[in-house]
Order: sequence, then C-alpha cells, then structure tokens
Amino acid sequence: MAQRSRQTNISLLLIVGLLAWLVPGAGHFVINEKKRSIIIFVTIVLTFCTGLYIGSIGVINPGEARLAYSAQIMNSPIVRVLGQLTQTGAYPVYGRPNEIGQIYTSIAGLLNLLCIVNAVYLAHLKKTGSTGD
Amino acid sequence: MSIITTVIMASFTRPEQIGTNPQSLLWLLPLAAAIVIVYKATKMSKITPAAFIKEAATLFGSIIVFIIIIAAALYGLGWLITE
Repeated sequence: MAQRSRQTNISLLLIVGLLAWLVPGAGHFVINEKKRSIIIFVTIVLTFCTGLYIGSIGVINPGEARLAYSAQIMNSPIVRVLGQLTQTGAYPVYGRPNEIGQIYTSIAGLLNLLCIVNAVYLAHLKKTGSTGD
Repeated sequence: MSIITTVIMASFTRPEQIGTNPQSLLWLLPLAAAIVIVYKATKMSKITPAAFIKEAATLFGSIIVFIIIIAAALYGLGWLITE
C-alpha cells in the first residue's frame, strides 16, 4: 500500500516536471497554482521571444553554441525543432544581436529550469502535506 | 500566407540592428525585470497583485542600484589607473 502511494507520488512529480518543461508554467497549473503559472508562462515566453526577435532564430545554434543551446533547450522541446532549422545555416547572425539574443534565450531557459524544480517541489509538498517553510 | 503572418515570420528570421555602443547595455533592463518576476513568482508563498508588484519592484530597484554602484566603482578604478 505504502509502496503504491510512493510510486504514485514519483509519477506525479515526473508528470509535473515534464509538463513544466513542455510548456513553461504548466507544471504550476496542474498543481492548482494558477496565478504563478500565468506569471511564469507570460514572462518566460516573452523573454524567449524577445531573444529570438533581437537575434533571429539563428541564435539557437546547437552546432557552434552548445553551452547556450543546453540552456535554451530547457525552455521547451520546441527549441530542438528550431535548432534543426538553423543547422542548415540559413539564418546567420553575428555580433551584438547574436550575444544579446543568446543571453535572452539562455536566461529564459534557465528561468524555466528554476520553475520546473519549483513546480516539482511544490507538488511534493502538496502531496505530503508539508508547508515548506 | 497572409501579410501579418509574413511580417511576424520575417521579424524572427532577421536580426535587429544593434550597435556596440554603451546604449546597447540598456538591453539588460528587460532581462533583469524578467529574472525578478520569475524569481518572485517562485519565491512568494502567497501571490497577491499588490504584494507581488511591491516585492518585484523593490528587488528590481536594488539590482539596478547595485549595478550602478559597481559600474561607478569600476569607472573610478579605470580613471585612477589611466590618469
């Protein structure tokens, strides 16, 4: 009985983490933290889109900017699709727009990683009934 | 494809023109705001609009003040070394 409950808890945490990665804020949404999820979704999507607007989708470069790409991929799996598009070399970007675009999109990814961890933590607290203070 | 879709697609496939001048550093302000908002959204135990805006504005202001202080200190150090 206790083992089944533990398995349910782990699968819930995995689902929350996966949803939070698929769509920023979705992890908080499923654990009934709607205000948090809206704030997170709007802010992260806006930051990511600002980065793409400044530097174009060329700032997602899995071939040459691997470190930035590893942070960018934390935004959503959609980044991988964009990465495959840009690997053709059709969207070159250099200089300051590239730097600023990469910083914006990478920071958006790292912020989403923070939100994924927070959503999983909050889901765990809700499941165990702790306050977390 | 409609004109609106084409314009939106075009704005994400061509980089903006940003020079390497001091003004380009102002791009840090929206980024700092985004970091503050997400951090506060994860940190506050209960979110009410008034408290959230107040705490986020306080943190944003303190980040900017510290950046200005560090920039002034570095400028002063640079001036001392070069003069």
